[in-house]
Amino acid sequence: MNKNFFEIDNVNFSTGGKDKVKNVSLKIENEGDVICLLGPSGIGKTTILRTIAGLEKINSGKILLKNKIISSSKIHIEPENRNISLSFQDNCLFPHYNVLENIKFGAARNQKSKKKLDVDEIINFLHLEHVKDKFPHQISAGESQRASLARSLLSKPDLLLLDEPLSNVDQSFKEEIQVKLKKILNELKITTIVVTHDSYEAFYLGSKCGIILDGHLKQYDDPYNVYHFPNSIDVVNFLNRGILIPAKVTGENSLESNDLGTIKGNFIKHYPKGSNVQLLLQPEDLEHDDKSNLKLEVVDRKFRGTNFIYTLKTLSNLLIPVFVHSHHIHQHEVDEKFGIKRPIYIDHIVCF
Amino acid sequence: MLFKKFNIWYLNSFLISAIVAIPIVTVFSSFFESTGRYSVIIKDTFLFDYIYSSALLLSGVLVFTFIIGVGCAYLVSFYKFPGSNFFKWALILSFAVPSYIYAYSLTAFFENYGTAYSILKNIFGDGEYNSKIPKFDEMMGAIIAISFSLFGYVYVLTRASFYHQSQNLIELGKNLGFSRKKSFFKIILPSARPAIVAGLSLVAMETLSDFGSVSFFGISTLTTGIYNAWISFDDLALANRLSFFLLIFILGLFILENISRRKAQYHTPVKAGFKSKSLIELNGYKALTAFLICGIVFFISFLFPVLQMLYWTIIFPKHLADLKITELFLNTILLVLLASSVLIVFAFISNFGNRVTKSKFLNFLTTFSICGYAIPGVILAVAYISFVSWFDNNFVSFLEIKSIKSIFIGSIIGLVLVYFVRFYSLASNGIKSGYLKINYSIDESSYLLGYSKLKTFLNIHVPYLKNSVLLIGILIAIEIIKELPITLILRPFNFETFATQAYIFASQDLLEAAAAPSLFLIIIASLFILTTYRYILKD
Repeated sequence: MNKNFFEIDNVNFSTGGKDKVKNVSLKIENEGDVICLLGPSGIGKTTILRTIAGLEKINSGKILLKNKIISSSKIHIEPENRNISLSFQDNCLFPHYNVLENIKFGAARNQKSKKKLDVDEIINFLHLEHVKDKFPHQISAGESQRASLARSLLSKPDLLLLDEPLSNVDQSFKEEIQVKLKKILNELKITTIVVTHDSYEAFYLGSKCGIILDGHLKQYDDPYNVYHFPNSIDVVNFLNRGILIPAKVTGENSLESNDLGTIKGNFIKHYPKGSNVQLLLQPEDLEHDDKSNLKLEVVDRKFRGTNFIYTLKTLSNLLIPVFVHSHHIHQHEVDEKFGIKRPIYIDHIVCF
Repeated sequence: MLFKKFNIWYLNSFLISAIVAIPIVTVFSSFFESTGRYSVIIKDTFLFDYIYSSALLLSGVLVFTFIIGVGCAYLVSFYKFPGSNFFKWALILSFAVPSYIYAYSLTAFFENYGTAYSILKNIFGDGEYNSKIPKFDEMMGAIIAISFSLFGYVYVLTRASFYHQSQNLIELGKNLGFSRKKSFFKIILPSARPAIVAGLSLVAMETLSDFGSVSFFGISTLTTGIYNAWISFDDLALANRLSFFLLIFILGLFILENISRRKAQYHTPVKAGFKSKSLIELNGYKALTAFLICGIVFFISFLFPVLQMLYWTIIFPKHLADLKITELFLNTILLVLLASSVLIVFAFISNFGNRVTKSKFLNFLTTFSICGYAIPGVILAVAYISFVSWFDNNFVSFLEIKSIKSIFIGSIIGLVLVYFVRFYSLASNGIKSGYLKINYSIDESSYLLGYSKLKTFLNIHVPYLKNSVLLIGILIAIEIIKELPITLILRPFNFETFATQAYIFASQDLLEAAAAPSLFLIIIASLFILTTYRYILKD
């Protein structure tokens, strides 16, 4: 017997008669789990949420919630009967009710719920005290988004769908709300699917992340694995942190690169000795060492607060990113030489 | 796919639109019916006259209403001058004066020994003034009467468009070094074009279906031709065929406009950097000129017919004393309440059905059915009578039960049913435009919070659209108070409204007796307008 809390089984997600994402299968095993779907704009993430919510129909496969089919080619449970709440990305507050009244709409459905949320509590939690008596057109996009989130949380659905929930929220609130949101979802055991294009948000909120690219769910795994063990070049390119450099496998734990010399570490997949591969090099894989004799030319330097990202040019004109802690005293200007610590050791070697 | 969408909302919406579409189908099907000998006579004699007069009348009215409507809307929207705030709403009072009452006033004032003559005689003493007083009769009279009665459509819609125009647009013109005149012709006017065209389209439809004033002035238009085909020659098929020509005429105008507009977009999205306008203050002769233009239009369109009717009501008190005011008032209000309630309820249900089912077919059917607005009231009434008679003869008599003619013809039920078809576009379009302001994701949010479609309708849509509904109700009320041909043909025996009472007196050449009911009609319609002018000007 299938015991997953929620399951998508081989579904093609389509809108307006066009398939957007094909052959998707994924599972949420436990009630209260939060998963995130990541992908570029227009790829079909919102279509997936709308379909799960029952706003779009499916022609193949099935979607199950609590072991009950809610969508298939033959069954379609209406959105109002699914107990699934979707918080839209754009403002969809009821324009003729004020923020408080809008939020209270969420409370109507779950009067019987054991662990109820208090309206004031949720208003405070999302910093909406000062706008609760205002109408939607009188508040900012970020406030609208938070009010919509409050309404969805208050309805305490079986499954909560959040479409870019914090995309319009000010950076100053964002991290705080992320922390509180994670806490409240955990406390209330609200199973949630978050759609976002912010990988940090996805890695923080989700116990699992799905990467949607080119009309397919490319990888569905826990955030650590998605980042460190991407299963395809597409996922590497999407997460956009590292680069792929040509290398030759020289042993059980080593490779040789024309640009960087010997690289040691643990392969996550076996490759025969002598294989030519593309090695994934993440910015944190290389360490800075002023005394090293492996020196590369600096072509760009970005200050990111906690660190610098140097872009270095190799002899064969490859551009390699390297993180350096921003407290590091010796800063390098463009055109200067930058030392890389040798021997290069990468804990988990990912090749394609 | 069709059956998947089929539900109670679909059925409701389909039935309502189908009922409203019956007269249009009747008119179109007339092409396959054989007509009587009168059609040959018409073709050889009057048809050209009908088309020529209709075209001439339409052209004259469109030019007049464009100049008056756009000119006044521009002045009150962009300038501040003495009385500008007053004129903003006062100019829409012209809606309260139906063109046939305007026609009575025009004739009464300028006719031989009429009001103008009396004024000149009182001021200058006895004299031969009749030959010096201009005569506004026949085509010129009809053009003036209809133009001053209908320019409000152009004024209201253009003014609303100007009201929503962003200051950014004006500043852009200044930035490009445009003069005020160039800004008007290059920026302001083109961006208000859809509103102006919408206003002119309404004017065109009303003009082509006008019956009261053209028959009063004795002009042979397609509408009077339709009436004659039915009344004088009992040729319903020909009446329908003439209506078909009329519809083609109107459709042609729409297509022409659409082609010329292509894909240009005219509206500035309100949220994207909308900045409200600051009015330009006029001084000296410019302020006086603006005041005089608006003042003269207000005087001619509203005060003139009101004063003329008031004058006659006062100097012929016997007619006022003989008038059964309470009865006429109650009859008028009864029709208003019944018809507007039925129209709003059904238009609401139909629009909600279209929204919920998202059916392209239903949308097409609704759009098609509301073309009925262009069908003259006369032909609607005639089509209705023939449909009821046909139904009675073929179905009711077959079942050997009592005839239903007395229930549906010459009764309040019949009257309300035909009003329903006639004014359905007003109600449906009004609610539709209200619905367009509600993003569909609002409905989806409601469903996702566990609200059923009916609960969404009652808790979200109805409260949101209540102001629009009130406005639509009052617009329908104003139309019904003024409506003439349908009421005239289908009213129960001895059941009169202010409009029919005024027409009956006028058709008997008792214009002075028509004054009191006309005056009451204008007063009631004005009161309705004054309660909603704020919404009318903005929406």
